[in-house]
Amino acid sequence: MPPIRTRLVLTLTGFGLVLAATILTGPLIGSTHISLGRVFDRTIAFADNADAQIFFIARLPRVLAGALVGAALAAAGVVFQALLRNPLATPDTLGVSSGAALGAMLAITLHINLTMFGISSIPVASFAGSIGALGIVYALASARRRGLSTIVLLLAGVTMTAFFQALILFTQYLADFADTFRTVRWLMGTLDVGSYTPILAALPIVLAAFAMLATLPRSLDLISLGADAAAARGVDVVAAERLALASASLATGAAVSLAGPVGFIGLVVPHLVRLIVGSDHRLVLPASALFGASFLIVCDAVARTVWPSGELPVGIVTALIGGPFFLWLLVRR
Amino acid sequence: MLTAEHVTFGYRAGAPRVVDDVSLTIAAGSMVGILGPNGSGKTTLLKMLSGTLTPSTGQVVFGGRPLAGWPRRDVARRIAMVPQETHAPFDFTVLDIVLMGRFPHLGTFALEGPADLAIAQQALASTGMSAFEGRPFATLSGGEKQRVVIASALAQSPELLLLDEPTASLDLGHQLDVQLLLTKLNRDSGVTMVLSTHDLNLAAALCRDLVLLRAGRVIAQGPTEDVLTPEAVRALYGVDADVARHPIAGHMTVTPLGRVP
Amino acid sequence: MTVSRRMMAGKRRVGALTAPALAILLATFLIATTQTIAMVQRSARPERIVSLIPAVTEMIFAMGDGARVAAVSNYDHFPAEVGSLPRVGGLLDPSVERILAIKPDLVIVYATQRELIERLDRAGIPYFSYQHKALPDIMTTIRAIGTRIGSSSQADAVASGMERSLGEIRTKAAGLPRPATLLVFERDPASLRNVFASGGYGFLHDMLEIAGGRNVFADIKKQAVQASTEMLIAGKPDVIIELLYGDSLKNANIATELRAWDVLASVPAVRAHRVLALTGDEFVVPGPRVVDATRKLARAIHPDAFR
Repeated sequence: MPPIRTRLVLTLTGFGLVLAATILTGPLIGSTHISLGRVFDRTIAFADNADAQIFFIARLPRVLAGALVGAALAAAGVVFQALLRNPLATPDTLGVSSGAALGAMLAITLHINLTMFGISSIPVASFAGSIGALGIVYALASARRRGLSTIVLLLAGVTMTAFFQALILFTQYLADFADTFRTVRWLMGTLDVGSYTPILAALPIVLAAFAMLATLPRSLDLISLGADAAAARGVDVVAAERLALASASLATGAAVSLAGPVGFIGLVVPHLVRLIVGSDHRLVLPASALFGASFLIVCDAVARTVWPSGELPVGIVTALIGGPFFLWLLVRR
Repeated sequence: MLTAEHVTFGYRAGAPRVVDDVSLTIAAGSMVGILGPNGSGKTTLLKMLSGTLTPSTGQVVFGGRPLAGWPRRDVARRIAMVPQETHAPFDFTVLDIVLMGRFPHLGTFALEGPADLAIAQQALASTGMSAFEGRPFATLSGGEKQRVVIASALAQSPELLLLDEPTASLDLGHQLDVQLLLTKLNRDSGVTMVLSTHDLNLAAALCRDLVLLRAGRVIAQGPTEDVLTPEAVRALYGVDADVARHPIAGHMTVTPLGRVP
Repeated sequence: MTVSRRMMAGKRRVGALTAPALAILLATFLIATTQTIAMVQRSARPERIVSLIPAVTEMIFAMGDGARVAAVSNYDHFPAEVGSLPRVGGLLDPSVERILAIKPDLVIVYATQRELIERLDRAGIPYFSYQHKALPDIMTTIRAIGTRIGSSSQADAVASGMERSLGEIRTKAAGLPRPATLLVFERDPASLRNVFASGGYGFLHDMLEIAGGRNVFADIKKQAVQASTEMLIAGKPDVIIELLYGDSLKNANIATELRAWDVLASVPAVRAHRVLALTGDEFVVPGPRVVDATRKLARAIHPDAFR
């Protein structure tokens, strides 16, 4: 096997090229035909140029949102799988995205119309919900002096997810009929964010999370072998686990507040990437972020074009592609 | 090289102490066995010696400095530990696992270079696992896994190697392999070793010195010949046994004769 | 009567049954008996009507039979008289217990309320099943419900009056240009996310066409179309009408809300400042007030012709 340096360069180049290709072709695909010549024709005023508007207002934000959300969810999936030593863990295993969903549900049904920095209340509330969920997990984790117990975390996550789901149902029960419909629609997830503002709001959070994660891949390798094994090899397990938990949760919260709970990315992408690059987290983590971005852009392009009247929610497409693929992966072993 | 001074550990305040007022000294180049029945506190004591667990009271001193204040990486450059069993939830190769032993020697963003690869391959060679380099770790047998993990610990280039029940889950052939490997490493490479075991004959065959641990307390320590007596076996396990030097192997052997009434 | 046969078997094994179980059995038996009687007395002129559908509540009130409505759904707000009536749940959570407590002789249900319908059947309570469809179906429903409750002449008068008024609006708008119109009835606050607009089927579409607008999503034969940003731009509407009603009016600053459309600068409606909001439940309750609603739509699309 070539040394890690070579494999890292190959991995980043390969997955980077795939992402560049999807970002470049993504905005060319859609339900309407547009002419690229007109899109970039500077002689037409932007306000008069419907093709340019479709390109820059309708499609490009979707592609960029897809890249950000896909990268965040896939990377968070990798981290949660290593942290919980469980290949079936997803960004929602610890209840972070359920918390985000509950926040969004409350904002929708209570009609909180506060607008912060040009962001509507729904993403703000859903991010707050994810931070709340993280706070609970973090408190549970810190309550034990000697680091996180995987099994306690898993059980706490399952419990919190169920608890949040119950609160979501309760909120929907109390809601006006139109609001209930709206909440159901939000839960399907969409990348049609409508402008760049919500993307720019989520971007620093995701970048901060990625910066923290960049220090962690080797620790994650060792933590996946067990806390004692990791500590014996020199990992400060408590600190690494907390940093991993916080950054993966921030990334998940930002992604879910931007696009709603888009499923399967965090589960399928890391496994697919491991098939190609192996299990070393120094390769898996960046490759999953890059490939998660490409995968979601492609799924959204399918969602935008495959249905003759209108568009499918992208969460349905990721599940329809991801579900069978994952089953195949399980059976293949 | 390493001393434990009156170390005590209880998992919760008020809970019974798992390790109770243990003092011991490990000399450089020695090979010490911590012997005791299941639940006598061997693993907890080893974790405190490795610095991954901080004693509730007392302290562990390595090379003249208390371990408590050391950064984890610094400790891991000097002391390596082989846990009882290692499971990999992902498909790491044998070489992946061994290279992870280089972790404490590399900076946060540093990648292993040719020197690190050479050390890892050397560690694989010394454990006789070179041929398995590219194999998935998860597909190995228990004995092979144990040898890979020992190689990974060796790749840490430690001065002190701690092993927790290194042969507990192995069959006779693999037990002997690991036993010979440890003897060779101690003798040829001068690695100081502390291993915990409940296997009297393994301890007798491998270790020049023994620490006998019962319910968290040391009941005897010293050279194997002096410590391993029928009285000690009875005190540890409640078993009457014959302890004699084996005519061919040359080390002490213990043959259980009956349960103490 | 399988129920009573089971009762008899239960009574024979009385020694084996505990007291509470017996009490439950007896209670079930009594309810079953009284309801059998109710079914026998199926009335041609029901006096205790429970309406779970706001549109039908309005129809009955419009016929002048509001006094016979005994209870309404949680979503009924019109006319004001419904405020004092008992509430018995909504589309998804009708309370069978509360409905039974009203002792109704007719329950108006939505066609998808299958479970409720089965339970009403079992209880022997007559019901009238209804479903939202296109605009002409409103008049059909009015006549049908009128016949059912014994007020067919009043019902026919209401329906004919509506048909006449709608016809007048249609005639008046017929000669005018038909601007491409986007009729939005749902979206997230302060953004163009999750925009739902009228497709080419249903009463909203029909109202829009009568009012002299050309629905931009007329080709999509659905009542509700989720419109992506791309579809909004590509549709090039000349007029955008947002319907605000119910809870979506709460806390909403209409002027601020409409500014969310400004990002779509190439859309003719945005450039010509023809993005408007119409408020009121009459746009989403397909009852007699659709005439008012259609007139308001017409006034929004052709402000000069309809004053």
